[in-house]
Amino acid sequence: MNCEVCQLKELEVEHIEVREVLRCILHTILFHRALGLVRPKDVDLELFDITYVQCGDVEHEKKINEKIDHFIDRVEKHPNKKNQICLSFYEVKNKQATWFTNKVERHYWEQWYINLNTVQHPKTHSGKSHHPKVVVDPGETASEERNARRTALESSLREVLFQIIKFVNEKKDHVPPIPNLDGVSFPYEITISSSSDSAFGMDMLKRMLQTGHPTMLS
Amino acid sequence: MDLQYGRFEQILTQFLLKSIHIILDSRVPSTRPYSRCREVKKSDKWFNLALGDRPSALENLNFWHRNLTEPIIIDIILVQEPPNCSCGYSLLPTTSGLGTFTETVIERWVVQCEYLRTMTPQSSDVSYKKTYKKSIILLRSLFSMMRLLPAYKAFRKLSSTNQTCDFDINYKVSTFSVPFSRTEEELMKHYSFIPVDAQQGRFAISVTYRDNLSHFNLEASTSFPPEIITDYVGSPLTDPLRTFPSSLERRFHATPLLSRGMHSPSSVPFQRPHSWTSGLHRGVSSPQSQPLAGSPALYRASYEVSSVISDTYGRKVQDCKSPAHYEAASSNDSYQLSPPFSPSPSPSPPAYLTSGNPVQTRLRSESAPVSIPHPIVGRSSRYISPNSSDPNRNSLPPLSPRFTKHDSSSQESPSGTRSLRKSDSLRSAESSCGMTYLGQKVSRDAKDDSGRFSGLLSSSDSPRVGFSRSSSRLSFQDDLDECDFSCPFIVDDVDTSESQANQNLDLRKGSEASSQANSSVRKSQDAAVGALVHMLRTAPPLRLDCSSYASGFEKSELESIAGAGSGFVLPRKTSDALEELKAYSEMKELLLCKSGSITSRAGSKDETSSS
Repeated sequence: MNCEVCQLKELEVEHIEVREVLRCILHTILFHRALGLVRPKDVDLELFDITYVQCGDVEHEKKINEKIDHFIDRVEKHPNKKNQICLSFYEVKNKQATWFTNKVERHYWEQWYINLNTVQHPKTHSGKSHHPKVVVDPGETASEERNARRTALESSLREVLFQIIKFVNEKKDHVPPIPNLDGVSFPYEITISSSSDSAFGMDMLKRMLQTGHPTMLS
Repeated sequence: MDLQYGRFEQILTQFLLKSIHIILDSRVPSTRPYSRCREVKKSDKWFNLALGDRPSALENLNFWHRNLTEPIIIDIILVQEPPNCSCGYSLLPTTSGLGTFTETVIERWVVQCEYLRTMTPQSSDVSYKKTYKKSIILLRSLFSMMRLLPAYKAFRKLSSTNQTCDFDINYKVSTFSVPFSRTEEELMKHYSFIPVDAQQGRFAISVTYRDNLSHFNLEASTSFPPEIITDYVGSPLTDPLRTFPSSLERRFHATPLLSRGMHSPSSVPFQRPHSWTSGLHRGVSSPQSQPLAGSPALYRASYEVSSVISDTYGRKVQDCKSPAHYEAASSNDSYQLSPPFSPSPSPSPPAYLTSGNPVQTRLRSESAPVSIPHPIVGRSSRYISPNSSDPNRNSLPPLSPRFTKHDSSSQESPSGTRSLRKSDSLRSAESSCGMTYLGQKVSRDAKDDSGRFSGLLSSSDSPRVGFSRSSSRLSFQDDLDECDFSCPFIVDDVDTSESQANQNLDLRKGSEASSQANSSVRKSQDAAVGALVHMLRTAPPLRLDCSSYASGFEKSELESIAGAGSGFVLPRKTSDALEELKAYSEMKELLLCKSGSITSRAGSKDETSSS
C-alpha cells in the first residue's frame, strides 16, 4: 500500500494564533480519519470566524493539546522560524521480532504536513512616518495591520481546510479497512520539526524508509 | 444477487437520508433536535456519524422517493424582508399575495446515485464494504464542508439565542428543481464531491452555492423599528389593569374571536405586541411556498399509503391510514425531540414531553396539577441554538393561504396541490393540538405570562422569526385565514377537561373573579387558563353590558343584576376590578411558587374575598 502525502499550504501565524490554527487543522484532519463511530462536535475559533469539527474524543483532544503545547514551547524558544507538524497515520503490520529489531513495524499510509511560519510582529509601530507632515497614530496602524494579517490568515486557513477536504475526497483507496472501534480508528502520531533542526529532513527520510521494505531500515 | 442488491439499496437509502440530515441540520435551525441522547440510536450509527434524531420527515423518505435513480435536490432558501419595509404592520399578510418577502436560493444540494450502465460487475462483497467505507469518508467531508460555506454563518446567526434576525432560512426538498437563471448562476459557485463507486452506480453529492452573501446584509437585528410598548405587562410589578390601546386589535385581525372578546381595559394581557401572535403574523408573512413544495413531495406517497408499510430494512412503518394519524405520528417524532427542560428560570415538567401521541400528551399535561412549563421560552431559545429544535413550531399558528396558493402555482412539485389539500386536514389536527398546547402554556397569571413572553424576546429571537422559520418546517401548518387558527386561549379549542372546567366556572360567574381563579387553581392549571380567558372575554366594561354576560351568567342572575338598577353598577365595577387584581396576584404567586405550595394560600384568599 502506498503512502499518500499531503503538504498543506504554508501559513504565517503569530504566536498567539498558533494554538487555534493547529487545533483547527489537526482536528479537521483527524475528523476525516476517525472513521469509527463519532459524535461530531462543532468548535468555533475565537480569533477567526471559522467553525471546525472535532470527532468528540476527549482522549485524543488531550493528546493533540499536549502536542500543541509542546510545539508552542518550541516556537517560543525559537521564534521566527518555519515549522512543520507532521500528522501520520499508520498501520501496525506485524509484531513479531526480527533479527534486527523487536520494534513493532509501522506502515505509514498517510502523512499530512502542516507548514507554519511563526512570526513575531512588533506590537507597536516604530512611530516614524514616511511623511513627517502626516500625523499617524502608531497604535491604530499596528492594529490595522494586525487585522489585515488576521483576515488574510483566516482566508488562508479556510483554504487549508478546503485543501484537506479535497484531499480526503480524492484519495480514498489507500485508507485501510476500518477496525471495529469507536472514534479514532487508526493509530497516528504527531511529530514536530523546524527548519533549524538537523533532524528536520531526517524525520522525513526515516519515515520514507519505514514505509518501504523492512530490510531498508538498517 | 437479490441480497446484494438489497444491501446496495439499503446503503443508498441510508446515504441519502444521512446526507439530507447533515444538510438540514447545518442550515435550518428548526430541524435540529434539542436534546441528543447520549446513547446513539441504531439508525443513527449509519456511516459512523451520530447526528442525533432525524427530522421526522426523513423517516418516510422512501415513501416519496421510490425511484432511487432520481436525485434529491435540497434548496436552502434565504428569506428576507424587502429593504423598504416601514413597520411591522405592513408585514401583515395581505390577500394580494406574496411580495412581502424575498426568497433567494443560496445553496442547492444534489444528492443522488448516478446509475452507470457501464459498471462492470465486481465482487459484490468487496464492493459493498468499500462503498460503505468511502461513503463514510464522503459524508465526513460533507459535514465539514457545510461549516465552511458562506451559508453557515447565516445559519449560526439564526441559531443564536441572543439575536433577532431580519432573515430566515427555509428549505425545500424535491426530486426536481427549477434551473437557475443566468444571472443567478453567475453569482454561484459549484463544488462536486468525488463520487463513491457503488455496485449499481456512484454516490454523488454536489452543491451550487452563493459564495458571497454580504450584499444580503444578514445582520442579527430587530426587524421592526423599536417602539414603546404602552401595554407591556412584562414585570410582575406592572399594573395588570393597565389599559391596552385599541391599536392592538389591528395586530390581531387574524384572530377575530380573541379581538372580539377583549374590549375591556383589563382584558388583553395576552394581546401584547410581543406575544407569539405577533410572531404569528411575522411568520404568516413568511413564505410557506417553498416548504410546502417540499413537504408535499416528502409526504406525497404517505397519502397514498393505506396500509402498514415496511421499508427495505424490514422496519414496520406506522400505519398511514389517515392523514391525521400520520400527522400525529409525525408530530410524535418532533415532540419526542422536544427537550425535557427549558433553560428558562421556571421549571418545565417533562410530563408532556415524553413519547406518545402529542395530543394525548398535551391532554395529560393539561390536566396534570403541576407547574405549567414554559415551552415557548425554552423552545425559542432552544431552536435558536445550534442544537435546538423547535417542536413547538408544529403547534404554531398556521400560515396565510396566499402561500398555499403560491405553492399551488409552483411547478416544483407535481403533487403539491394534492398534498396541500390533504395537508389541510393534517394541519387542522396540528393546529388544534397547537392551540391546546399553547392554551396550557398561558394558564398562569397574566403578568408572569407576559413576563415569559418578554423573556422570550429578550433571550431569543422574536417569535415572529420563529414562525417564519417554522413555515419552512417539516411540520404542517394551516393557513391563518382559514380560521383554523384562532387564539390559542380560545376555550373551544382546548380539550374537554379544560372546557368542562370553564363550564363550571361559568356557573359561578356571579361570584368573585378570584373564586374563579381559585377554582381553576384547584382544578388544573389549564382550567385556570380557560377561566382567565373566559373572564377576560366576559369582563364587564365600564358600563353593564348584559349581552357580554349572557354566556357567563345564568339568566336569573342576569335579571337580578339588571333589576338592581344602575346603582349596582358603580360598586360592582370597583369590586370586580379589585377581585380581578387579586386573581392576577394569586395567579402570579401561583406561577412563582409552582402552584403546589400556593394552593392553600389561594384557598384562604378565596374565603376572604367571598365574605
